[in-house]
Amino acid sequence: MEIARKFKNTFSNVPMLGWLLGVLAAVLIEYYWGYDYISYYLGLPKIPVLFGTLIMLKDPMMIPGVIGYDLIVYVIPILLIAKASNFFTNPVAAILEKTPLWLSAIIHLIFFYGVLHLWAGINDYRVLVVKLTMISIILTISINVINGYQGEFSCSHPGFMAIGAYISSIITLYFFVNDKTFGAAVLSPDLGPWLFPFALIAGGIGASLGSLLVAVPSFRTRGDYLAIISLAFMFIIKSAIENLNVIGGARGMGGQPDYAPLPIIFIWTMLCIWVVHNFVTSIMGKALNAVRDDEAASESMTVKTRKTKMTAFMFGAFWAGIAGGLFAHVLAYINPGMFSINRLAEILAMVYFGGLNSIIGSIVGAVSINVLGEALRPLELFKWIIIPLILILVMIFRPYGLISFKEINAKKLLRAKHKREQGA
Amino acid sequence: MSALLNVNKMTHYFGGLRAVYNYNLNIKPHQITGLIGPNGAGKTTIFNLITGVYTPTEGSITLENKSIKGLETNEIAARGLGRTFQNLALWRHMNVLDHIKMAHYSQLSYGLIGSFFNTSKCREQESRVEENSYRLLELFDIKQHADQIVTNLPYGAQRRVEMARAMATNPKILFLDEPTAGMTPDELGQMIKIIRKVHQDFKVAIFLIEHRMKFVMELCQHIQTLVFGELIAEGPPEEIQNNPEVIEAYLGKEDLT
Amino acid sequence: MESLIELGQFILQNLINALQRGSFYAVISIGYSMVYGVLMLFNFAHGDIFMVATYIGFGIATLFLALFAGFLPGPLIFLATVVITMFLASWVGVFVEVAGYRPLRSAPRASAAITGLMIGIIFETGILILLGAKRLSFPPLMESISYNVGGIYFTNVKVMIIVISLLLMLALHTFIQKTKWGMAMRAMSYDFLAVPLMGVSINIIAPLTFAVGAGLAAVAGILYGQAYPILDPYMGVIIGWKAFVAAILGGRGSIKGAALAGYLIGFIEIFVATIFPSTLRDLIAYSIILLILTFRPRGFFGMEHSTKLRL
Ligand SMILES: Nc1ncnc2c1ncn2[C@@H]1O[C@H](COP(=O)(O)OP(=O)(O)O)[C@@H](O)[C@H]1O
Ligand SMILES: [Mg+2]
Repeated sequence: MEIARKFKNTFSNVPMLGWLLGVLAAVLIEYYWGYDYISYYLGLPKIPVLFGTLIMLKDPMMIPGVIGYDLIVYVIPILLIAKASNFFTNPVAAILEKTPLWLSAIIHLIFFYGVLHLWAGINDYRVLVVKLTMISIILTISINVINGYQGEFSCSHPGFMAIGAYISSIITLYFFVNDKTFGAAVLSPDLGPWLFPFALIAGGIGASLGSLLVAVPSFRTRGDYLAIISLAFMFIIKSAIENLNVIGGARGMGGQPDYAPLPIIFIWTMLCIWVVHNFVTSIMGKALNAVRDDEAASESMTVKTRKTKMTAFMFGAFWAGIAGGLFAHVLAYINPGMFSINRLAEILAMVYFGGLNSIIGSIVGAVSINVLGEALRPLELFKWIIIPLILILVMIFRPYGLISFKEINAKKLLRAKHKREQGA
Repeated sequence: MSALLNVNKMTHYFGGLRAVYNYNLNIKPHQITGLIGPNGAGKTTIFNLITGVYTPTEGSITLENKSIKGLETNEIAARGLGRTFQNLALWRHMNVLDHIKMAHYSQLSYGLIGSFFNTSKCREQESRVEENSYRLLELFDIKQHADQIVTNLPYGAQRRVEMARAMATNPKILFLDEPTAGMTPDELGQMIKIIRKVHQDFKVAIFLIEHRMKFVMELCQHIQTLVFGELIAEGPPEEIQNNPEVIEAYLGKEDLT
Repeated sequence: MESLIELGQFILQNLINALQRGSFYAVISIGYSMVYGVLMLFNFAHGDIFMVATYIGFGIATLFLALFAGFLPGPLIFLATVVITMFLASWVGVFVEVAGYRPLRSAPRASAAITGLMIGIIFETGILILLGAKRLSFPPLMESISYNVGGIYFTNVKVMIIVISLLLMLALHTFIQKTKWGMAMRAMSYDFLAVPLMGVSINIIAPLTFAVGAGLAAVAGILYGQAYPILDPYMGVIIGWKAFVAAILGGRGSIKGAALAGYLIGFIEIFVATIFPSTLRDLIAYSIILLILTFRPRGFFGMEHSTKLRL
């Protein structure tokens, strides 16, 4: 505890910019010396992909090497650079603070993306993990709108995702790809990447409309009944697709063009965070909370509760549809079995682990479960004992999840930290 | 004449139970009306019927000469009927400021798109609402709690939040369901002051359910007495106080203070 | 005339199949319903408790057959397997309650639901780790004899499944109506707060309810093993979800409703599968469920709650 406090004190004057700079340094070190020098001298076969957890679990002899690697490449450079650079990161942050918040946010995001791109670029596996993690972030935020902010127990998310995945895949395959199901491309494939957002949005809208089937019953029931209705919805979507042979039936549908590279997914993820954040911090969005906490009181305070519930479902489903579309184009293959109970368990785990009613919570949940899932992969089956156990512990000690009922405060997050020092 | 709210021959059944029978009410602008009666007489049900929680089996309800019977609760509230609840109905995960802001819901016009993209119209309306909310918080003496989650407040303050919230809907008539339930005599005096102040500052009409006679007698210009869903007497306080039927049916059994 | 008889045979034949299938759902869904009645939450691990119970039954049956097959009569072995399995499985139920749900008694219900799901995953994985992926097959505890009565085929196993399930439910009914513990459970379904006043602690009633539910699931598991001998760690997921659906359809907390809805789901499944292509089975079954819930949002025997809260 004492150490933690000291640590916090030492680094309390490092602004976000400083941390980003530190991470950049670490990534550059890995990029230039990671393979040739550092992992070589530490006796590691290659650059550890996910901070070495994979190698460590496979071969315990590698543990010292991995720890050394993480210290040399990540921990020490990040801390050093972050602390040492604050003589100029703080003034820069102060200058950015004077610009409009959106501009400062965009500058930080571009910087962040650059670092992420470099880090992920080390190998394809990292790229895939990062892509899937970001899609999970969208999914988790979107289910949080329904299960957290609106407080329903909805199990239909894989269904919404499936609708989005299939609709957008059908559009891109039909218009931009020569394939055996839909024949020759209708439009020039060159247009594909530019029109891809519309395909995604069409998928999102499809999912939104589908969600009405769950939203309308939610006017009259909630809790367990809604859980069943939404579960039935999920199974119906799944088996409807299984029976639609035009789109591949149970065998699935493949060959989606690669329209979802890292930057595109990053942009969609940030867009999702921004829009959902705007919504849930506005009065319109807080109406979801009001309806959740006391429907009768909300009605009496002029809140249109039905419209509010419908909005929550349609809005959440829309983003699930977007996530589904991105997912389909990352994997370039989907089948109905991907959108069933297992996916549901994963999505529920992410949102309840991370925290209800909080976007940061959702980000934390999605990233933790994804990274944990990848990192523990060498444990094979035991992974499915450890992750559920962790989740049970979280439920016992933090029933609403790790970070709940907390919103992002961009201004506070990005501001310069030097004033604090004098104040304290 | 010139009634703000008019209820005529309203009757309501819950299944076979006759909760309200042949009930009439006439509220004039800026008038304080009281509704008294023993527990289970149907007082809260009358509130719920007028505010649209239930639709009466029979009878008519008009607000400023327009029928509001059968409208949704939120529409009726937006037309000017604000209310509080007998057992506090606050939003348990929400802070005090958001409670007041939320009650401005019907006064917003920026729409969903506005809220998604945080348009300038949205920002402008939200900041206006926030300003107004702080004003109300100050008025009800809960500004110091603005950022607190409402369940962490002392009971009396929670009651004031509920009233401030009701006032934020900008009502023409304020319905108060047992505003002093569970309060100490001290808090009671404070509540009388607050109700007076609201009445003065906002020029609203008030319709209140209350158990404590002292409170009703002091505040109301007009009192109705309800027993088993039926009105047995109504009139100015002095008259009610001396009405033998009222004394027998209600006052005789209950605590007079 | 000829075709009418055929139709009758067809219907009766499927009726028997549906009754058999419905028996599993009915017995398992009662477990959901009982827990709901007492704790106001659905035990999402129940499907996996059923799965674990089936594996326990498999172990006991294999052991007993190996030990006593020659010199003890078959029915006795069967009975012993059932009793021992019920006993062991009920401890699994108790474990789930004490370790998983008790710490969450005052937590939001969604947290408890997640915990239940996770316990289920742990059970599935645990079985996979312990027994590997090889497919085990439940040993037959009685010799299967086929009968043909008027063109309708059935086996003694089928009859036994249907009859034992009915007897089991009858026994449960008696337990709930007549014993002190059963009455305490019932009281708890009506009023959560009344029970401490009756002098029965929730900390006894709750594990007892889980134990009874798991015991029922154990019998269902053994019977299931007789009808469908292949064991699979994920068998509890599919059957569990359907039984859960039955518990909802029956009306939460209603044991009678759960049993009836269990049979109903069996019927829907069997008849849909014989009339339509099998790939449409889930689609149609779930659509019917969705329709029922749209028109009867509280299920068949659910307690009536006002949709708008009492003010
Ligand atoms: N939603 C309802 N369904 C059935 N009966 C109700 C409902 N609401 C109130 N009642 C019954 O109507 C009667 C009047 O209740 P209420 O209006 O709450 O009385 P009061 O507010 O005067 O104490 C009571 O007998 C109560 O049980
Ligand atoms: Mg009342």
